[in-house]
Amino acid sequence: MPVTGAAIIGLLPEIIASVFMFVVLLGGVFAGERNSGIVGGLAVLGTLATFASAAVLLAIGFEGTFFGESYAVDNFALFFKLIVSGTAFFTVIAATRFAGSTGDAPEYMTLILAVVLGAMLLASMRDLFGLFLALELATIPSYALVAFDRSRRESAEGGMKYLVTGVIASSVLLYGLVLIYGVAGSANLTQVAEAFSGELTPVGLVGIGLMVSGFAFKLSAAPFHFWTPDAYQGAPTSAAAFLSVAPKAATFAVLLRILVEGLPGATATWTSIIAVIAILTMFVGNLSALRQRNVRRMLAFSSVAHSGYILVAFAAIQGGGQETGVQAILIYSAAYAVMNLGAFFAIDLVGEDAKSFNGLFKTQPALALCMGAFMAALVGIPPFSGFFGKAWVILAGAQSGSVLVYAAVGALVINSVISLPYYFGIVRNMFLEEPVSGGTAPKDDGGVRFSVYALAILTTIFILFFGLLVTLTGASGLL
Amino acid sequence: MITTITIFIPLLGAILISLVRGDERTARYTALGIAAVPLLLATYIYFAHGSNLAGAANLSQDLTWIAPLDIGYRVGLDGLGFGMFFLTSLLTLIAVVASWDIRERLSTYFALLFVAQTGMLGVFASNDLVLFYIFFELTLIPMYLLVGIWGDENRRPAAIKFFIYTFLGSTAMLAGFLALGVLGGTFSIPELRGGGGLGTTAQIAIAAPILFGLLVKVPAVPLHNWLLDVYVSSPISTNVVLSGIMPKLGTFGIIFIAIPLLPEGVAPFLPWVAALGVVNIIYGAFVAFLQPDLKALIAYSSIGTLGFILVGAAATNAVGYNGAVLQQVTHGIYSAMLFIIVGIIAAKTGTRQIAELGGLAARMPWATGFLALGAMAAMGLPFLAVFASEFMSIMGGYEAFPVQGALAALGIILSAMYFLYMLSRVMFGPIVNPAYESITDANPVEMAAITPLAALLLILGIFPALLIGIQQPAVEAVLAAIGGG
Repeated sequence: MPVTGAAIIGLLPEIIASVFMFVVLLGGVFAGERNSGIVGGLAVLGTLATFASAAVLLAIGFEGTFFGESYAVDNFALFFKLIVSGTAFFTVIAATRFAGSTGDAPEYMTLILAVVLGAMLLASMRDLFGLFLALELATIPSYALVAFDRSRRESAEGGMKYLVTGVIASSVLLYGLVLIYGVAGSANLTQVAEAFSGELTPVGLVGIGLMVSGFAFKLSAAPFHFWTPDAYQGAPTSAAAFLSVAPKAATFAVLLRILVEGLPGATATWTSIIAVIAILTMFVGNLSALRQRNVRRMLAFSSVAHSGYILVAFAAIQGGGQETGVQAILIYSAAYAVMNLGAFFAIDLVGEDAKSFNGLFKTQPALALCMGAFMAALVGIPPFSGFFGKAWVILAGAQSGSVLVYAAVGALVINSVISLPYYFGIVRNMFLEEPVSGGTAPKDDGGVRFSVYALAILTTIFILFFGLLVTLTGASGLL
Repeated sequence: MITTITIFIPLLGAILISLVRGDERTARYTALGIAAVPLLLATYIYFAHGSNLAGAANLSQDLTWIAPLDIGYRVGLDGLGFGMFFLTSLLTLIAVVASWDIRERLSTYFALLFVAQTGMLGVFASNDLVLFYIFFELTLIPMYLLVGIWGDENRRPAAIKFFIYTFLGSTAMLAGFLALGVLGGTFSIPELRGGGGLGTTAQIAIAAPILFGLLVKVPAVPLHNWLLDVYVSSPISTNVVLSGIMPKLGTFGIIFIAIPLLPEGVAPFLPWVAALGVVNIIYGAFVAFLQPDLKALIAYSSIGTLGFILVGAAATNAVGYNGAVLQQVTHGIYSAMLFIIVGIIAAKTGTRQIAELGGLAARMPWATGFLALGAMAAMGLPFLAVFASEFMSIMGGYEAFPVQGALAALGIILSAMYFLYMLSRVMFGPIVNPAYESITDANPVEMAAITPLAALLLILGIFPALLIGIQQPAVEAVLAAIGGG
């Protein structure tokens, strides 16, 4: 397998990310302990360069498969690379102060860049074992990220729980992949598709079931979601925000690629499995979130629920809903990235107790408006970003022509209403309650503030570039 | 283009007024200036294009947004929406004038009011299902905050109840809209008229969630649970919008979307919609009669008279449809006016309890006169605006559904009963509380908020053709498209 010039161009985002990963780590060595600013700056530069290279590849319409068709650079993969590097950009900006305060800024930033690299590789993988390696590259640094905050006990606890469940999930996933490989006799998705075009063998069915379960762990879908609240509560805020968005989006991407490119013959099987998981996930996520008083845990369960919403789009990839279903997953991932990242960052500025948001509109009106926009977007109220994600999932469901998917869409509608009280509990605290005394915000939080404001603006003006997004995702290269 | 400008001027105004620094006076005058612009534009549209709204090219716009699904930025005005479009711009201005009870964070209050106004204007001018929904929901958060921040002590549960109920309805409606657009191949409301090529079963399946969502918004009686708390807890100026315009987002949806776009789908539900209208009328009247609180009485009276819109629209004949379209406007005028007067009385006397009031006529002749005028209009007395629209709704309703029509007529008698009781208790008789000896009549600002509405009640009462004339062609177009008559 020769490495051609085209392959180097196609892999430019990954190459840039790996170069900066080492530069940041070494930069930390030379800059010394006190210069977390330099390290942060390098990391920001790295994510920005990665984003720019992916954007250029997308703009010039670069397409190709490399290494014996096991690595695809298409619009679909590039779209997810943009989401991953874009969220990483805002995350490293927001994380600089925290990373500096731990004294281990270079390590923290390196871990984030390692997740970025893994997630970007993941979005392009067309090989069962390659994708497993990429998934582990994205996951293993995230265990360390969750446990990074040594000043809090919950951090170590969350990291431990995440590690144990994550390892089990990886083995289940690997087992499923091996069984699929055993049936197909090849790890390449093209050959897998040929092998699975006929009737499904029992081994193949078990393989698909185990693989979907393994992914359900990684995507915190019910009933494999229980690690999520502890991990997100323990993790430093910036890590929780990043992990709830970027690796998750890439995992959705690779799952979609396996199912659509590798297992189109078994569509009826996996859409049914996923529809059931989706319905369960939405209800479990939302009903659990209703009971939370801690905003971090609430957002963790909310991220479970949103995995459920996206999985409805997976279930809708059948009948007439194929194209819209894929589109919905892309649109939802982008919409979710901006709103959820922002909502998590706001915790850093306000506090993780729901009560600490009381009267925020009087004390910090701009921040209250931003958080209000994130909450409305998470509910799915137009004109904010989340609405378009949900609308496209419903559209795909309407086109799918399957009764089970109609039921899932019905569950999505009901769940949107169930989610309203907990998201708007925050809005009520911010706008309708009186401020509590004390609890001043830390001073040098300019990075977090910048990220929150920028993400709130993106969440709000999503409607303006939505038409472009639909055109882009319509030609995603998948299908 | 004029339509688009009119819709978005309040949104720009909202941004402008949040940036303006200054005292209360500055905020009020800025808000007045902003609110006057859409009203002037709407008035211009009436006089320049009123005779031929559908044919006026500069009123409509059709820009492609999402080409593969045929979603577009489509706005335009026709006879069905224009009345409410105009009333929205008028009532927002009145709400700005009537905001004397708002003292805190005035510019935020106006900003939210203007965001809601953009949503409401947009709904009445949308020609695309997705756009309709976006505007429909744009009103939700501002109204929640208006009630939640500036309402009385019961405001928080009231506001969230309102939010959850209407969000439940509108999300169901969204699912229906999206299914309709996908199956019909376009989201353009005019192109989907007559069913968009859908079969009867599909139409029924889609019409059910859409009707449910719209009936929650109205609210039709079993779905009205959210309304009372919200109406009673709101500040007066929010009431003007809440009762004058918000219910019409629901009724307008039925008149403009549910019936014309899904004629076969709504057909099995229409007798029930008419029956719900009758339930609204009779239930509203009886419950209004029992209310000890003056504001609650007006709130239930408002629910009651909304029923006539449902009866008239469900009839789907020329008389009933015209009556329903007109009743949306007349109901808005009278209920806004009554809420303002009740607010004035409550502020002056310090109570809203009917039992504690009495003999105010001697001290507040003008306010009494206007209250009597509004109440008489609400009773459906001839030569006042509501008469023509209620009469037409009942006539049309009787023709299509004799039982429902006849029962709806009963509502007029019932409303006369509780309004006359209310007037006699509150206004006439001896002064019950010595403290009332010193109260004064409505001041000039308060008069300025009431007078235009009173004038409109008289003008539209004597010349209903001013509005019926422009809505007639649109009604005929709808009936032709759905094959009724």
